[in-house]
Amino acid sequence: MSTKRILTLARRVIQQLAADRRTVALILIVPLVVMTVAGILIRAESSPISIGIVMNDEGAVIPLGSRAVNLGQNLSDNLGGLNDSFRVEVMDAETARARLDAGDLDAVISLPADFSAQAVQTRELNIPVEYEGSNPMTARLLEGMLTRAAVQTLAGLTLIGGLDLTTPPVHLQATYRYGSADFDTMDYLAPVFIGLFVFLFVFILTSVAFLRERSAGTLERLQATPIRRAEIVTGYMLGFALFALAQSLIILGYTIWGLNVHYTGSLAVIFVVEFLLALMAVNLGIFFSTFARNEFQVVQFIPLVIVTQILLSGALWPIKDMPAWLQPVAWLMPLTHANRALRDVMIKGFDLAQIAPFVLALAAFAAVFVALAAQTVRRGAGA
Amino acid sequence: MAYAVEITDVHKRFKAVHALRGLSLHIERGITYGLLGPNGAGKTTLIRIMLGLLPPDSGEVRVLGTRMPNKAVLRRLGYMPQQAALYDDLTVRQNIEFFAVVGGLNGDVRRAADEAIALVDLSERATSRVRELSGGMKQRCSLACALVHQPEVLLLDEPTVGVDPQLRVQFWQHFRHLNEQGVTLIVSSHVMDEAERCDRLGFIRGGLLLAEGTASELRQRAGTATLEEAFLQFAEEAAAGSQLPVASL
Repeated sequence: MSTKRILTLARRVIQQLAADRRTVALILIVPLVVMTVAGILIRAESSPISIGIVMNDEGAVIPLGSRAVNLGQNLSDNLGGLNDSFRVEVMDAETARARLDAGDLDAVISLPADFSAQAVQTRELNIPVEYEGSNPMTARLLEGMLTRAAVQTLAGLTLIGGLDLTTPPVHLQATYRYGSADFDTMDYLAPVFIGLFVFLFVFILTSVAFLRERSAGTLERLQATPIRRAEIVTGYMLGFALFALAQSLIILGYTIWGLNVHYTGSLAVIFVVEFLLALMAVNLGIFFSTFARNEFQVVQFIPLVIVTQILLSGALWPIKDMPAWLQPVAWLMPLTHANRALRDVMIKGFDLAQIAPFVLALAAFAAVFVALAAQTVRRGAGA
Repeated sequence: MAYAVEITDVHKRFKAVHALRGLSLHIERGITYGLLGPNGAGKTTLIRIMLGLLPPDSGEVRVLGTRMPNKAVLRRLGYMPQQAALYDDLTVRQNIEFFAVVGGLNGDVRRAADEAIALVDLSERATSRVRELSGGMKQRCSLACALVHQPEVLLLDEPTVGVDPQLRVQFWQHFRHLNEQGVTLIVSSHVMDEAERCDRLGFIRGGLLLAEGTASELRQRAGTATLEEAFLQFAEEAAAGSQLPVASL
């Protein structure tokens, strides 16, 4: 072992790194950007869980002492007072249905006219609750909270009745607007993975392929033939999109049949979204390859382009939980629209018309990136 | 229409470098024309301007009578860049067939590829991936890619750099053969002994055409025994006229 040789080699490594200013900048800046975004998201107060209550309970009279009670009202009050993370609103059945469909409410509790009467008679509390259901974590949380509120409500009942000190049983009669009781977190995350993999791999593959096209001189050679920029970009899109669709097919098949992820929507609609994602990723890859001199620099774009986007795309943190100023930024991320569209299709079974806003947004992103890519193809290898 | 290339008073400036400063040049059809000059003389810039890959700042470039840049005329041109510029993961045949189609070949792609492969003597390696080839084989494959679509004008940027002497002789045989078929070849080089094989030569330095003619004409005019000395003679004359430093090859 020669110290001199080792030190010389170490110095050379540092010299090489220092000579690559963009690498140094990315190494220093990217972790700060990613941690800042993650920090904002983790520290953001999650938005309250919204419960709609359709109140038809007419109350009942407790036989002993002849006191009138309205258990539905008590339950509603108890839920509202449970903690700050609940927002309880009383509304009519029609509003409740519409807002649940739109994903604006996390659950609706419809209390029938004889809610109290039934409870007094049977000494059990049967609470009919319909969960929105697309995020199973919210449903689990609600389940626990509802049970607590119900038990509090019944505690009042025992005091009033004074007959029986054992707590009467509580039954949550749960139904699900979307999904079902056996939905788990994987069902919630799988649609996001399906979009993410296509985007990630197509982005990396195209950046590297196009970087090679530039550095090997084949791009210049192509430019010396009658082929047009639009033809180069379209050819790349077609090639990689077909590749991406094959990849999607395998991922989707494995997700549904291998991992038993629940899925209700149409396969064709999923492929429309995947196709648009692939087109975007191809053009984004071509665009970013202009800024990379070697494969090493392409890899450095991943935390910036991909990781930041995953954080902001609503994949893990719901967008409504983000600070208000960050939410528009989240909607500027193509993956946000893709995630929303894929979740709507796979969990809620939406059709193409229902996810049209997101699909159109993706198409618009794709168009912008095609224009950017076509512009960068003009710039040849040396120019 | 007698000229393959007509260049009139072309200027091209990159940020710090004035690569071409009022260069004019006419190249007849069906000959092999050598662009001779040291590295940085402007040879590659000139070739890229002829192909329309770079627009000139001023002046006019016509190739086969058409003002460049022009996409349609590129079908009649072939270009072999300085680096091999091939797809490493594809086979020799795949590369050549790709450039045949992209280059605008009319007719049987497979047959044209076969001919090009035979011409550069790569028939036995047609199914090898380019990654596995030696440097000389890559150069030959690159030449095949440049001529597979049967162009009328072939622009070759330093085609024999890193090519062994035996292969170099083969290359020049191909070039002669192409001339006989009416193809115009424009070859850049900084190797003087290659220049002897060209029908006409242009000495290029500092973005200017120093002198032009056949090899023997140039030697005669400079009054020197070798082309190398002739080049230095012309360079010194030019330097005396302007403020250019004396040439070194």
